[in-house]
Amino acid sequence: MRSLLVRIFLSFWLIIAISIGLAAGGGYYYAERMRQAFENFEISDTVIAASNALESSGRPGLEAWLGDLPSNYPVNVFVLDRQGKDVLGRTVPGRIERAIRRFDQRRDSHREHGRERRNLRPARPLTQLVGPDDELYTLFVVPKYSVYGEWVREQTRMLLLLLALMVSAIVSYALARAITRPVHKFREATVSIAEGHLNTRVSDSMTQRKDEIGLLAQDFNSMADKLQRSAQQQVELSRNISHELRSPLARLRVALELARRQTGDLAEFVRIETEAERLDSLIGQILSYSRLETRDQDESTPIKLAELLAEVVEDVRFECRSEGVQGVTVDFNQDQEPLVSGFAGELTSALENVLRNAVHHSPKGGSVTVELSSVGEQARITIEDQGTGVADEELANMFEPFFRTRSALATPELHGTGLGLAIAKRAIEKHSGTIRASNRANGGLRIEIELPVRPAVD
Amino acid sequence: MTHDVFELMNNATRPANILIVDDDQELGEMLRDFLAPDHLKLTACLNGEDGLKELQSGKFELLILDIMLPGISGLDVLKKLRQSNDLPVIMLTARGDDIDRIIGLEFGADDYLAKPFNPRELAARIKAILRRTKQSSRRSESCELGDIALDPRTRRATVNGEPLRLTGTEFEILRCLLETPGEVVSKDKLNERALGRRFMPYDRSIDTHISNLRGKLERAGAINETIQNQRGVGYLLIPGI
Repeated sequence: MRSLLVRIFLSFWLIIAISIGLAAGGGYYYAERMRQAFENFEISDTVIAASNALESSGRPGLEAWLGDLPSNYPVNVFVLDRQGKDVLGRTVPGRIERAIRRFDQRRDSHREHGRERRNLRPARPLTQLVGPDDELYTLFVVPKYSVYGEWVREQTRMLLLLLALMVSAIVSYALARAITRPVHKFREATVSIAEGHLNTRVSDSMTQRKDEIGLLAQDFNSMADKLQRSAQQQVELSRNISHELRSPLARLRVALELARRQTGDLAEFVRIETEAERLDSLIGQILSYSRLETRDQDESTPIKLAELLAEVVEDVRFECRSEGVQGVTVDFNQDQEPLVSGFAGELTSALENVLRNAVHHSPKGGSVTVELSSVGEQARITIEDQGTGVADEELANMFEPFFRTRSALATPELHGTGLGLAIAKRAIEKHSGTIRASNRANGGLRIEIELPVRPAVD
Repeated sequence: MTHDVFELMNNATRPANILIVDDDQELGEMLRDFLAPDHLKLTACLNGEDGLKELQSGKFELLILDIMLPGISGLDVLKKLRQSNDLPVIMLTARGDDIDRIIGLEFGADDYLAKPFNPRELAARIKAILRRTKQSSRRSESCELGDIALDPRTRRATVNGEPLRLTGTEFEILRCLLETPGEVVSKDKLNERALGRRFMPYDRSIDTHISNLRGKLERAGAINETIQNQRGVGYLLIPGI
C-alpha cells in the first residue's frame, strides 16, 4: 500500500549503500597495496639483490644491477646518494624529493624548538645501504603506475565501476520519473480544472495504482466530481430560485391587469408595473451574475466577434429609435474579423450592457463610437460616449456590483440595476479578457475591452 | 387588415380554445379571467403528462407551455407534441435563460415570452398567431421556387415532391421569403408576418427560426436555394440557378 514510501526509501538506501561500498572497497584496496609495497620492501628480494650487488662490486655493481632490472619489473627503484642524486642520474620523482625534505625538516624542527625528544624516532626509517667506501645509499621504491591507474587498468574492476554507475543512474532516474510523472499529470489536470474544464479527471492508469499516488488520484477525482456536482447544483439552484421568485411576480402582473380593467388606469398601477419589471430584471441579473462562474469551459464555442458585435450594435440602435434615448447614434467601425472562443450569450449580454450604458449616458443627439481592432494576440473593442464621464476616483469602482456613481444615485429611476457593468466585467474575465474604463480627454467615457484571439486551427 | 381580423374573430360564434400547461394554478386561473373578454377560452393543466393527454382531444388551437414543469419538462412535452402535431406553441421561459429559449424555438415552438410577462403582451401574441393561422388559410395561392413548393391551403411544404415538416412560423417565414426571391425581406416584416408582432431589440426569435428552417431545407435536399443574412437589414432567399 505504501509502496511509494518503500520505493523512495529503498532507492536512496541502495544508492547510498553502493556509494559507501565502492568508496570503502576502493580505499581499503588502495591502503592495502601501499602497505604491502612498503612493509614488505625491506625484506624483499629487491633490497637483498641491491645489497648483494653493492657488496660484491661497489657502486658500479649497484649501477649495473639497477640498469639490468627488467622493464616489466613492477616497481621503479631509485638509489640516491648522500647528495640526494640518483646514482643513474635519473630525475628523482617529486614525491620522493618531498618525502626526504619532510623527513629532514621534521628533524630540524625538533631541534629548533630545543625540545628534541631523544626517544622519538621516525616511524619508518628509509632503507639505506652502506657501500664499501662508506658511502650511504638510500633506496626508494615507487610503484610503476599510480595505484589508481593500476587499479583502473584491471578491466573487470573498470567494468564493475561502470556497472555501478549505470545501475545507480538508472535507479535514480526511475525514482525521479516515478515521482515527477504523476506530479505532472496532476498538474495538467489541476490547470485544466482551474481553466473551467470541470469534467477533467486523471486517467485510470493513475487511479488503479496501488500506492499513495493511486490514493491521491482517487481523491483528486472524487474532489473533481464534487466540484462538478456543486457547480451543477448551483445552476439548478439558481433556476429554482429564479422560478420561485418569478412566479409571484407573474401573478402580480396578471392581477395588476385585472385590477386595471376593473378600476381604469391609475398612476399607481404604472408605478407598480415599473417596480415589478425592475424587480424582475434585478432577479435576472443577479442570477446571471452568479451563474457566470459555473459555466463549464468545455461548452465554449468559436465566436466571430465582428458579427456578434454588429448584432449588439444593431439591437442598441433599434432601442435608440424606439425608446426614450433621443437621437443617440451608434457608429460602428471594424477593420478586423477576429475569432474568439467562449459563450456567445454571455459575451453578447456583456457587450450589450456596456453599450447600453454608453447610450444611456449620452446627451441628446450625441453619438457613441464602437471600434473593433486587433492588438497583437488580442481583439480590442473600444466604446466611447460623449456623456459627462465618471469622476476619476470612481473609475476604479465602476465595475463593482451595485456600484452607482453619485449622479446616478440622485436619479435612480433613470438607471438600471447597478449590475450591468459588473456582469460585463465578470463575463469578460471569464473569457480571459480585460475591461478598463477611462475618461476621454474631451469629455465622455471610454471603455476598452480586450479578448484573447482564438488561435487559428488549420 | 387588423380590423378585418377582429371582425373575423368577433363573428366567430365559438371562442378559441387555448391550453396552458403551467404548474402555477393561480396564475392559470387569473389568466383565464384575463383572456375571457378577448374570446379566448383558456384551459389550465398543471403538468406535462396531463397536458399531453388534453392535447389528444384535438380541440385546442394554441398551446401555452411553461418550460419549468414538475415531472416531464416543457421541452419534452414540446418534443413529443411535435412528433405528430403542428399546433402553434408559445413557450414561457425564465428571462435571461437564452438556452431554454433557443432550444425551445429549435424544438419547434412558434414564439416565446419571458416570465413574468405582461399579460396584455401574451394576449397580443396569442391573437397574432391565431390571426396568422386564419389569414394564411384564406390566402391560398400556392407558390413554388426551384425545389421548394408551398401550398398554403393545406399548409404543406414539399422539397422535390417530398413532404417537409415545418412549424407554422417556419412555414410563414419561408412563404414570405418565397414571394420575393432574391430580395431582402426586413426582420421587421418577417416578424410581422410570421409572429404577428413588431421586431423588438434583443429579440432573436426570427434568427433562430431562420436557422432551423435552413437546417430543415438542407436536410430535405433543397441545396440550390439558400437563405442569406443581410446583416442589420434582414434575410433573402437566393434562388437556385
